Amino acid sequence: MTDCAACADERTTGAAFCEVCGRSLMPEPGCPHCGTPGGVGEDGYCEHCGMLAGRERDHLETDCGATAAAVTDRGLRHHRNEDAMWLATRGDEIDVVVSDGVSSSFDPDVASLTAVQAAGELLPAGDVAEAIGAAQVAVAGLAAEGDPRRQASNPACTIVAAVIRGDAVTVGWIGDSRAYWVPEVGPAEQLTEDDSWATHVIALGADPEQAMRDPKAHAITAWLGADAGKIAPRTAEFIVGDPGHLVLCSDGLWNYLTDPAAFAAAVREGLREQGTLISAARWLADYANTAGGADNITVALIPVKPLVKG
Amino acid sequence: MTYSAEAFQNEFLALGATEVNAIVTVTSSGGTGGGGGRRTAGATEVIIVDASGSMQAEGRIAAARQAAKAAVACLDDGVHFALIAGVGTAQQLFPAPGELAVATVQTRAEATWAIDRLHAAGGTAMGAWLLLAAQLVAQRPGTIAHAIMLTDGDNGEREGYLQSVLDTIAGKFTVDCRGVGTNWKVSELRKIADAMLGTVDIVARPADLTVAFEQMMTTAMGKTAADVQLKVWTPVNATVRFVKQVEPQVADLTGKRVADGPRAARYPLGSWGAESRDYHLCVDVPPGAAGDEMLAARVSIVEGDTVHTQALVRAVWTDDAALSTRINRQVAHYTGQAELADTIQAGIEARKAGDDHTATIKFGRAAQLAHESGNQATSELLATVVEIEDAATGTVRLRRKVAAADEMALDTRSTKTVRVGRGQ
Repeated sequence: MTDCAACADERTTGAAFCEVCGRSLMPEPGCPHCGTPGGVGEDGYCEHCGMLAGRERDHLETDCGATAAAVTDRGLRHHRNEDAMWLATRGDEIDVVVSDGVSSSFDPDVASLTAVQAAGELLPAGDVAEAIGAAQVAVAGLAAEGDPRRQASNPACTIVAAVIRGDAVTVGWIGDSRAYWVPEVGPAEQLTEDDSWATHVIALGADPEQAMRDPKAHAITAWLGADAGKIAPRTAEFIVGDPGHLVLCSDGLWNYLTDPAAFAAAVREGLREQGTLISAARWLADYANTAGGADNITVALIPVKPLVKG
Repeated sequence: MTYSAEAFQNEFLALGATEVNAIVTVTSSGGTGGGGGRRTAGATEVIIVDASGSMQAEGRIAAARQAAKAAVACLDDGVHFALIAGVGTAQQLFPAPGELAVATVQTRAEATWAIDRLHAAGGTAMGAWLLLAAQLVAQRPGTIAHAIMLTDGDNGEREGYLQSVLDTIAGKFTVDCRGVGTNWKVSELRKIADAMLGTVDIVARPADLTVAFEQMMTTAMGKTAADVQLKVWTPVNATVRFVKQVEPQVADLTGKRVADGPRAARYPLGSWGAESRDYHLCVDVPPGAAGDEMLAARVSIVEGDTVHTQALVRAVWTDDAALSTRINRQVAHYTGQAELADTIQAGIEARKAGDDHTATIKFGRAAQLAHESGNQATSELLATVVEIEDAATGTVRLRRKVAAADEMALDTRSTKTVRVGRGQ
């Protein structure tokens, strides 16, 4: 039972508001750092210990039931979440975008959010490359507005976008955020090819393991932003032959699962143990956090089946 | 009157780091409605002129009369004002004892005639002069109260009396102090200016007094808000190491802290017109973990219960050395300017004590700092006391003969700073 402090009426546990006086029965959110109840000020900082009590983007979830789910999480080492995501479903049409802000640029969190919105709004038309082009225009425009420091170090981000139309999947990307196809058995198939230094030198013949260990491994060679020059988003299309899951994610997840077999195993374990898509996506974010949470983590899960031919 | 406050800092701290530095730039539009400079409160002005016997030398008293008349001419209509003749006691020269006049064409003329009666004969009693000024401005609480104090010599009051007066009148009004000639003590006038949030400067030649008075009065008449304060909130277990004004001149406000509720305190900023000043805030906070973000200070510009504007000083802990080792240009620049002022003071003290070795080292470092930061005015003042052989390395030689006025000018103006360029 929960007592209303204002009118002493008793309500069932879990009731959000007192039915007599309308007063909120939920305790004011306490500071997650020092526990001071109701201590968080309007600007998000605790009035007692000064710690940032949390930002909305620290952890966001989009749950579209059995159709799709996506989770983005700040991780453990970064002070804010510079990843952003977009997930829209209309019947068997699904649009999804994941973007990862470039930390060394100014306002990367604004860049990623701008990118997913600009691309997401155009994806219903089905042209992934055009949507990424629109994201580039929007992100490049950020340098000229807002904080003047954006001009010196313009906001930049990666992008991976996909449209699912029945059994047809199209993905497009710039940078090192990835799309995978995870079948019901066997290793994951990476649908994207990173625009990164490591991928570049491996393509030129360098030892993959050695290349990935290089400090420059994650340096991206293409991105969205005012200094990106002319972008050429790469795209891939395929028709699903057997049931599986399309997974879009930022490097905050795949960095802990670089082996395609391990990646597929983790996705399947999450789906099997959790039962729902959203809890499986959350489980994958937790997996990355347990492994270190060194970067922001974003993961989107979309089950895709072959169409039953009538 | 609109204010803006902006914090400049590198918010990223290495793991284990606990010192947070920020430069807060406070800018006021001055006045209401488009920065037209209209005062929101009344103004009270007191002009104190030393009339001790020594003022007869070098035509100082005649020059002081001219300067006081020029100051009276600068008074806006409607400003309440009084003139005090500073001798062994404080004597009100205009209007009648204990009263304030309201500036009109008529009263300004009457004050000018009264100034002609100013004769140099008597002692120097700064505590008594300031006390009378305080009693006069107290008649109009809440107004923009300002005083000019001109002297040419040492205070003749018993040891400690001036300090006790300053303790009681601090914050009631601002006082700009000027010393004419070279027989007064910089440290004494600086003590008054620091306590009363005013300025101190030397007017070596009596002939320059009129210009100095006109400048002070023009600035005073441009003030539109009486008692602006900097409010600093800090989280639990954090302490404010210092709060310094660093531009247009260095003034340490740390000791002027007045507690204001839990974890907050106010520091007086004096009266404001349309202007901009920079403050350096240094806060010690408990260390955070990687990814933690803390609000190290919430800095507000307040007048009474009105909060005009606010700036946030943050701390974000990271194990990314590329972020935590970034140098913030503003913080670095003003840290250098504060060191420059301290180093000049140390050099002057060493020179007075006959310690030429220390003086040379200090002035050398000062020349280097002034050169690096582009503080041309201070470089030129230093060059009157030392021969600067190489400013970049701080190589200087003490001059054998230094004019007293030059050394006092270096002393009084050593706290003047220059602003850093605001790119990036």
